[in-house]
Amino acid sequence: MTERQSHSGIPLKPVYTPADAAGDYAAGLGDPGAYPYTRGRRPAGSDGGAWIQHELSGEGTARRSNEQFRYLIAHGATGVDVIGDTPTMAWLDPDHPAARHAIGTQGVSVCHLGDYRDLYDGLPLDRITVSHSLPAPFAIAGLYLAAREHGVDPARLRGSTVQAPFYCEDCGYASHMPFALRLRLAADSIEFATRAMPKFHAFLEDTYYISDGGLDAVEEMALGFVEIRYVVRELLRRRVPVDSFAPRIAILVNCRMDCFEEIAKIRATRRLFARMMREEFGARDPRSLAVNVTAHTSGLTLTAQQPVNNIVRGAVQALALVLAGVQAIEISGFDEAFRTPSPEAHLIALRTQQTIELETNVTKVADPLGGSYYVEALTDELERRITEMVARIERQGDPASLCDGGWFRALFQDAMERHARQVREGRLRKVGVNVHRMAEEEDTLLRAVAERKFEPCRERVDELAAHRRSRDGGRVREALVDLQRVAEGKTGNLMTPLVAGFAAGATMGEITGILRTAYGAPYDPLGHLKAPA
Amino acid sequence: MRPLRVLIGTLGLDQHEVGAVAVARQLRDAGIEVVYLGRFNLPPAIVKTAADEAVDVIGLSCHSWEYLYYVDELLGLLREHGLQIPVVLGGSVITAADARALEARGVAATFGPTSAMNEIPEAIRRLVASR
Repeated sequence: MTERQSHSGIPLKPVYTPADAAGDYAAGLGDPGAYPYTRGRRPAGSDGGAWIQHELSGEGTARRSNEQFRYLIAHGATGVDVIGDTPTMAWLDPDHPAARHAIGTQGVSVCHLGDYRDLYDGLPLDRITVSHSLPAPFAIAGLYLAAREHGVDPARLRGSTVQAPFYCEDCGYASHMPFALRLRLAADSIEFATRAMPKFHAFLEDTYYISDGGLDAVEEMALGFVEIRYVVRELLRRRVPVDSFAPRIAILVNCRMDCFEEIAKIRATRRLFARMMREEFGARDPRSLAVNVTAHTSGLTLTAQQPVNNIVRGAVQALALVLAGVQAIEISGFDEAFRTPSPEAHLIALRTQQTIELETNVTKVADPLGGSYYVEALTDELERRITEMVARIERQGDPASLCDGGWFRALFQDAMERHARQVREGRLRKVGVNVHRMAEEEDTLLRAVAERKFEPCRERVDELAAHRRSRDGGRVREALVDLQRVAEGKTGNLMTPLVAGFAAGATMGEITGILRTAYGAPYDPLGHLKAPA
Repeated sequence: MRPLRVLIGTLGLDQHEVGAVAVARQLRDAGIEVVYLGRFNLPPAIVKTAADEAVDVIGLSCHSWEYLYYVDELLGLLREHGLQIPVVLGGSVITAADARALEARGVAATFGPTSAMNEIPEAIRRLVASR
C-alpha cells in the first residue's frame, strides 16, 4: 500500500511509543507457554525454536509422490505435506469422465486404500508428521489403515488434515455435498480421529485458503473463527467433552507480504483462541487453550512475472512466520503461479527454511518482537477487528444459511476483485508486475524451470479398472450397503462404515456417491456416472 | 444491432473460478452480454450452449493444464457443427510459448498472466469486428 496503512486497511502511525502499547503484561501477553499464549504456545526454550519443515507435495501416482516425500526427507524435511489433484479434491475417482486430463497434474491421485499404502510406504511415520490437503475423512481412513498395515500404531501418528472450509464449496474446492453432510463428515471424522489417532490434528482449520482468495488478515481470521466456533458447538452438542478434541484443533494460516500485520495476526489469533476456549467453551486443559498454528507462505503474492523474485518473497514471509512463532512452515514454490512445485522449487524452499533456522540465530529467543510498541498495538487492533467481524457474521446468520445463500461466495468475489484492482491501480505494489517491470525477452531467469510441464497420469484409469476387478466385490457391496444405512439413518459415526468400506477396497468416488444420494444429492454431481444398482 | 454475446466458463475439473467471474463482470461493465456457464464443463456442453445461445465468442478461463488437451476437441466439435465461433483463452497458466502454440492450433486469442485484464473487452470487440 502506498498510503500509511496495513494491507488490511489499519491506519498506521509513523512511529509507535509506550502510549500505544500500555496493556497489562500478565493479562494480555503472559510469558510464552502461559495463558493467553499471545507470546507462543510453548514455554521459552522447550523446543529450541524448531518448527516442522515441510513442503507441498503430490504429483502423479501415490508412488511418484512417495518419491517426492523421500527426496525431501533425505534433504532434511521433518514432515510431509501432501495435496490431492483436482479430481481427488472434487471427491471423484480418476476414471470419472471429466477427470482424464487432470489426473496427477496438480497433486497426487489417491482414491483407494492401495494408493494410501503406496503413499506412505517406507516413511518413518513414527518420527515425521504427515499433513494433508485431501478430503479429510479419506485422508484419515487412508492414513489410519495404511499405518496399521505398515506396523505403526495409529496412536503414535502425528500430523493433520485440513477440514475444507464450508465456504469453499462454491468458491474453490467443490465436493458437491449438501451442507448437512459436510458438517456431519467433519464432526464424525474429528470424533473418530480423536479416539483412534489422539496425537493427530484432525481439525485443521484452513484460513490459508481464505486469505489466498484475496480476503485480508482480519477477514481471514474472522471467517476461520466463525467456522471453528460452529464446529466446536456441533461437537459439544454431540456431548463430546471439549478437552478431548480442543487440543486437536490447529489453524493453518497464510503469510502474505505485510510482515508485521501477519505476525500480529498470529499473536492475536493465539490470544483470541485461548480466551474463547476457556471463557466461552469451558476448556480447562492448557493444551486446549494453546492453539497450534501452522502456516504456508502465500501463493497469491507470487507472480508469473520474474518468477525468481518469488524466492525472495518466500524467504521474507518465512522469516515473519518464525518471528511470530509457528509450529510448522511450508514455503510456496517459486513456480507456484505455473504449477505444483518442481524438484528445484522444493529444494530452494526447504533450503530457505534451513538457512533461516540455522544461520540467523533468530530461533534463540522466544517471541523476539514481544513488547515492541508497534507489534503490540497492531496485535491489539487485529484482535479487536477480528472479534468485531466474528460477531457481525454471527449476528447475520448461521454459516449453513449464509453459505447456501451465497453470502460467502459474494464476499470472496468482492475480495478478489478488490485485490486485483489494488494491483492494477498500483496501490498494492508488486515488483515485476506494477513496478520495476521487465520486457518479456529479458525475463528469463528460472523461467524455463517454472514453465516446465508434465503429462496427466492417464495410466491411473487402467490401474483403477484392475483394482476394481481384483477386489472382493461381495465384500465391497456389503460395506457400501452398510454405509448407506448409516448415512440415511442420520445418526451414528459415518467413519465406521467408511473405514470398513475403504478396507474392503471401495473407492472414494463410490463411497462419496452413496453419501451424496443418502442426502438427496445426485450420485455423480457432473451427471456422467450412474449409481450402481 | 444487438450487443456482443460472450460465453464464459472453465474446463474440466479446474476449480478456479475467480478469473472467469472477474472477466464476466468486466465484460458486462463494458456493455457485452455474458452467458455464464460456470465450472465443470466439457467441450460437448460448451459447443451446445454456444450454439443454443448464439454467442459471438467462447471465452474460457484456464488455471490448470487441462485446456491443453480439451482445446483440439473443442475446436474440432465447432468445425463439425459448422460453427465459426472464435475461442479465446485466458489464465495464469498460459505462458507466451503456450499462447503461440494455441494460436497456431486455431485459438483466436489468449490472455496470459501479464495481460492487463481491462484489455479483454476491447480485444474481444476487435476480434469480432475483424471477422
